Order: sequence, then C-alpha cells, then structure tokens
Amino acid sequence: MHMRTNVIFSIALATLLAGCSQGGSSAPAEKADAGVVNLYTARHYDTDEAVYARFTEATGIRVNTIEGNADQLIARMTSEGAASPADLFVTADAGALWRAQNANLLQPTMSQALDTAIPANLRDPQGRWFGLNRRARIIAFDSTKVQPSEIDTYEEIASPRFRSRLCVRSADSVYNLSLVGALIEAWGLEKTAQWTRGVVANMARPPEGGDTDQIRAVNAGVCEIALTNSYYYIRLASGEDAADRAVTQRVKLAYPSLEGQGAHVNVSGGGVAANAPNRENAVRLLEFLAAPEAQTTVSAGNNEFPANPAVPAPPPTDAYADFTAHPMSVALYGPRQAEAQSLMSAAGWR
Amino acid sequence: MRLLAWLAAAVAIAPLIGVVVAAFGPGRADIAGADLIRYALTSVALAVMVAIATAVLGSVSAWLVVMHRFAGRSVFAWALALPLAAPAFAVAYGYADLFDVAGDLRSWMRAVPGIDWGPQMRSLPGAAFVLSLAFYPYVYLTVRAALVNQSAQAVEAARSLGCSPTQAVFRVGLPLLRPALAAGVALAVMETLADFGAVQFLSVQTLTTGVVRSWFVYGSLEAAARLALPLLAAAAVLLWIERVSRRGRTDEAARARWRPIEPVPLTGGRGLLAFGFCLSLLTLGLFLPVGWLAFNAIDISPDWSRLARAAGTSLGLGLGGALATVVLATCLALSAERMPVTARISSLGYATPGAVMAIGLLAPASLLWQGVPGAVSGLGVGLMLLIYAYAARLMAAALEPVEAGLTRVTPSMVAAARTLGRSEAGAALSVRLPIASGALLTATLVVFIDVVKELPATLILRPFNVDTLAVIADNYARDERLANAGWPSLMIVALTLPAVIWLTRKITASRPGDPHGPD
Repeated sequence: MHMRTNVIFSIALATLLAGCSQGGSSAPAEKADAGVVNLYTARHYDTDEAVYARFTEATGIRVNTIEGNADQLIARMTSEGAASPADLFVTADAGALWRAQNANLLQPTMSQALDTAIPANLRDPQGRWFGLNRRARIIAFDSTKVQPSEIDTYEEIASPRFRSRLCVRSADSVYNLSLVGALIEAWGLEKTAQWTRGVVANMARPPEGGDTDQIRAVNAGVCEIALTNSYYYIRLASGEDAADRAVTQRVKLAYPSLEGQGAHVNVSGGGVAANAPNRENAVRLLEFLAAPEAQTTVSAGNNEFPANPAVPAPPPTDAYADFTAHPMSVALYGPRQAEAQSLMSAAGWR
Repeated sequence: MRLLAWLAAAVAIAPLIGVVVAAFGPGRADIAGADLIRYALTSVALAVMVAIATAVLGSVSAWLVVMHRFAGRSVFAWALALPLAAPAFAVAYGYADLFDVAGDLRSWMRAVPGIDWGPQMRSLPGAAFVLSLAFYPYVYLTVRAALVNQSAQAVEAARSLGCSPTQAVFRVGLPLLRPALAAGVALAVMETLADFGAVQFLSVQTLTTGVVRSWFVYGSLEAAARLALPLLAAAAVLLWIERVSRRGRTDEAARARWRPIEPVPLTGGRGLLAFGFCLSLLTLGLFLPVGWLAFNAIDISPDWSRLARAAGTSLGLGLGGALATVVLATCLALSAERMPVTARISSLGYATPGAVMAIGLLAPASLLWQGVPGAVSGLGVGLMLLIYAYAARLMAAALEPVEAGLTRVTPSMVAAARTLGRSEAGAALSVRLPIASGALLTATLVVFIDVVKELPATLILRPFNVDTLAVIADNYARDERLANAGWPSLMIVALTLPAVIWLTRKITASRPGDPHGPD
C-alpha cells in the first residue's frame, strides 16, 4: 500500500517541477493558441533569440522553441504524427530540409512575400520549404603553397596535384552529401564516382572533426586545401580570438566553379509543418525571417549570406559575398542523398 | 506492490519492445556490408580496449589505495572516483581540443621545441583512452569495496600453506577479486556502448553510426532498428556477465570474522611511484581535460541567464529522475526473487546505445502523443515523459545498489515481521527498506549524476523551451563552437561533483559490519 504513496509522491514532484518551470520565463505551448508559433529548430545561434524577440514585438506572436539536431527533430515530429505541435521546422542544409519533406512532415505554403523574397532555385518548387540563408561549400587553401588558379574548379579537388594534400570531414556530414548530390546532378554518376575516388586518394588524413578543424589543419600544415562551408572561415577571420584570425592570414578562401557556372551553394531554411496547429503564424514567422531586417541580423550573427537578393550581406560577411553562385536548384540535392552516400562509401570516404 | 514492480518493468521494457517491433518492419537501407562489418569491429575493439584499460587502471589504483600506505592515500581513496563527475563528452571535448593538430599546444610545440607529434585523440585508440579515463572509477569503486571486504585471513592462510607473497596474491587474492572486477568492467563497457556524445565527437564510426545512417540518410527506421538488435544482444550478454560474476561474492560467515588487511607502507621511490600513479590518473581523468575546457572558456562571456535556467532544469530533472527511478527500482528489487528474468531485462536500457534508445523511447512516446489529446504540447506531460525516459535508461544503475542493499536483509528478518502480523508491503516498509536505506541513497545519487550528464533521451523528448546543460553543451559542440561548450560542461561538473564526493566518501568510509555501508 505504502509503495503506492511513493509513486504518488514522485508524480507530485514531477508536477511540481512542471509548475516551477512554468513559473519561469518560458511560456507553455498551447495548441491552436492564436498568439503562439511552435518552432522546431536545428539552429541555435545567440542572435536567434534576438530575432524571435523582434518577431514577438512586431506581431505579438510568442515563439516556443525546441532545439535539436535536424535528424532528432525529424524523428520526433514523425513520432508525434498528426498530434505534432510543430508549426515551423528550421534547419541547415537543403539535404536536411529534404529529409523532413521526404518524411511527409512539411506542407506547401503559398506566399507572395516568400516567393518574391526567395529566388526560385533556393526553395522547394512546391513551397514545402524555403531557403533563408545561403552558404557556399568551397575551398580553404594554404596561400603559401597553392595558387588560387589551381583550385578554380571542383574537379581539381580530386586531381593528382593534391595527392595526400586535402582535408575533408566525414561522409556522414549532410554538407558533403549535398555537395556530392549536386555533382551527381551536374556530372552524372560515373564522373562523380571517379571524383569521390580522387578525393579519397587526396585525403591527407582520415576524415575527422568539423569544417573549422579542416581550416585549422591547413594552417598547421597537415594539408594544403580543405573543403569548408563559407561561414566557418568567415567566423574565424572575424572572430574575437587573435589566433583564429591569424589562421586566416595564411589560409585563404577560393570559390571553385562547377561547370563554369559558379560555386556550389546550399541553404539553411524552414518549412511549415504538415500538421501545424498555428499555420498562419508559422507563415508569418517564415516571412519575417525572409524580410530584410531578420536577414541582416541573422547574417551578421552567423556569417551566412542572405538568401533574399535585395538584402546586401552585412559586415564582416560582405567581404566574402562577391562570388558567382551556381544556379542549380538546391531542391535537387536531397533526392540524390542515398546515391551520394553509396558512392562515397564505395570510394572509402568514411 | 507486485503491481508496481510490473509497472517498473513495463517502463523499462517498453522501449526495447519498440526497437524489436520496428525491426520487423519492411524498410531497407543500402548500407554496404563492408561498412557494417567495419562498424561492428570498431564497436567490439572499442569495448575490448576500454574493458582492458579500465580493469588495469581501476584495480591497480584500488589495490594501491587499500593495501598500501603512502602520502596522500587517504585523499586518493575518495578522490580517485571524482572523474565520475565529468561527462564523457566533456572529457572528449577537452582532449580533442588539447591535442588537436592545429590546437594551441601542438602549434606551440611545432614552433618552439620543433616537435610535430602528439597523440591522435580523434581515433579509435583516442576514444578508448577518453572513455577509459571517464569510466575507470566504476572498476575502482567495485574492486576497492571487494578489497576492503577481503579478510586478511584468506591471504594469511595461503601464506601459512607455503605460498610466497606473490603467489598468495595470484592464487588467492585475485580469484577472490574476480567477481568485483568483472562487475566493474561490465559497468564500464555498458557505459561505453551507451555513450552518445564522446565517440561521435571523436569521429569514431561504430554501429551507432550505422544506425544513424540507415535511419536518416536512407530514411529507414526499420533498417536502423534491425542494426540495433545485435547491440541489444551485446547489452544482454554484458548484463549476464555482470550477474554471473556476482555469484562468488563473500558471504555473511566470512564477514563475521573479518579483519582489516594491514596496509604495507611504501617508502622512498615506491611511495613516490604510487603517489605519482594516483595523481596522474586523477589529473588525466579530471583535472587536465576539465581544466583545459575551463582555460578556454575564460574568454567567453556566455548567456548566464540561459545557463542558470538550464542548470535549474538539470538539477530538477536530476532529482525528479533519480527519485522516480529509485522508487521503481526498489519495487522491482523487492519482487526480484519472484521475477528474476524481468528484473534483468529491465536493466537492458542502461547498456543500450543512445541512438537505439531514441528509437525505442519514441515508440511509447508516440502512443502517448498521438493517443492523448493535448499531451504532445503539455509541459507537465513532457517533463513526465523525460523522467520516464530516465527511469527506462537508468533502471540498472539504481537496481544494482538497491538489490545489493536488500541482500543484507536475511529471510528470517522478513519472516519475523510477517509472523508479527505485517503484510508483505508492511514488512518491506518497516524492515527491508530501513536496513537498505544507505543503498537507496547511493542509488539516488548514482542516478542523479547520470541524469545530469544524460543526452540522447533529453535531446529527443524534452518539451518546449526546456534545455539542460548537457543539451546546450552538445548544441555548441555541433556548431563547432567548442569554447562556448566549455561553460555548460563545467557547470555539469559543478552540479555533480558534490554528489560524487558525498557518494565516494560514504563508500570509502564503509567497512564490513557497518550497518550503513553500501555493500
């Protein structure tokens, strides 16, 4: 009998805990409350909170968030099914957005504002997600050993010139999967397979760490070139850490061109959840994020380029924004993901 | 009471059923066979390396501290368990950054003494090194307890029968320690298998990598669950080993004639060596990696209010999770003799890899979310779900000490209470639990420490606007902002350190015959 009191006690404690947290600054998520938008986001920059605060100020809509990595959020939304409170799903990489789309977690959005703000190649043709910020996947190179002209195409990354001189992260990274997906789209399977084999032959070490680690490894002399997303480099170049800034004295950024049409560009972005209880609010938040004010704040905070062509990149990102971006639709990367993984795995890209 | 025991079992077993059910689905993932074999071999190699290293480090340090007298011994006796306070992922952050080829240390080494060498932390041996340092305290604590319990008589008898001191150690001392050693190593290996943040951060691809690839790149939950089955089987085998290894434990009779082993004084070089060994273990396991994180975090001015909120959440969830888990584990332990298999299976969550547990936990969560209107967005329901997840993952951590504590209660004591008119539950409450109260407290602290460090379940199940310190650290590390991950990691250590100190001092102070000993 008394054991039961113990359980009741623990339940009471849990409820108490719930009460405590509710008393804090966090607002409870309430379904279909007109004043709320529930955001599932894989992005967690300090400027995000400022942007949401501005959104609340401008619209009166409160923003509830669950942060996580994209895959966990997708798994959770899938489990929640039709009951999901998620209104808006936000993540980095078109490949990750496609995973959510592929799991039927997003619904089409018709918005004049969004269609105007975001170029057609940076969003899903059916409006299930929209790119909000752009990043280029390009090359950081050792300026004491490499001429920029030696790496002005993606083919050159795999060329014998760089045998055992390339640093690149694991094939598990969705950034790499999306790049290889884009290459398959541009070149076909045969040539891309060959390219991945060249990349593996060129690796100075087995893949380890993130993009930032690859850039630092170039500076340390481990390799001469490294594949990286643009913002990691810009973050080092403009950061508070003097040693990081020193890295970018020697390591420079090059923008290789794919088929002569420009550098491989990806997006971070968001889409309205399939079962969004606050659909209208979700669309308003998306539109807010695509509008100049948020575009500038976010870009200034995380060094991505604005997706809205009407918004110039703010400093310090503006110094790196002058390049040609390949016009390929970012929506094409995701469907190639499984093929890309298989090619990379066959080539020995871990 | 039996009802509650079944409830406890259901809580712990539901996620495992979730994985098995998912595994029989139709989906498939085209992961290359060669990759799978490589992942599996890496998992095995990592487990074996951690098993050997923790066995050596844990038993040597326990042997030094219990059987010898040297400078600092009384401090090391409890301090050697302190690395338990540092989450394995924080140790991994610290070492990966410290020895990174482009990090401050290696850059300085290249520039000044001109040495371009350093240990490769982002590798299989590196991961084994990090996890061994993080988990050796499990072996240290179990072996230490066994050594303290070991009576001088056994070794003296061996000597009187003609064994040399060395022979006495190998023929009597070590065999007597085997159960404790096996139990400690099994715990360390289970933690290794369950690890979520560290191995991934160190770029080591284990079967967990395969699970994540199948699930998300190839979009097949079913294939991921099938990959998880061998991991569950491995967890079951480990639990079985741990169980079997307990059978040889010292019984009451030996305890009655227990006499402490007279420690051998270590003087001069030997004393220095012992001191050096213990100090380096403590330095490598705690001071160096955590100190390095702290050193890097100094320049960062974090969002203190957010960290303070997260610390409060971690503390609250830790306490709530610990209480709920221990209550359930106690019910299970009280009925364990009648449902031994159920009790064992309920421990499986502890050794189940984080990514696999995520698949399993989402299954019952999904039933709740989709079945109960409003459940999905209620904060209270969300927190309850999290506490449920902790209970499912950490049942074994609570069950172990509680069961051990309950074995101090002899059947005759319970029988006496029953003859005096107590019900089964009444006897449990008035006789068995008070005797095991020390063990209950131990269990609560162990689960609290684990909950504060917990990642996968918290990441995937937490309600809106709820962050723990571990989650914030993980977010920063994923964003490649390691310096920012330092503060939340340090706060986790600060939060768990008092519990660890309290726990280890209590364990080290205990002696056989001590009614409040943890045994």
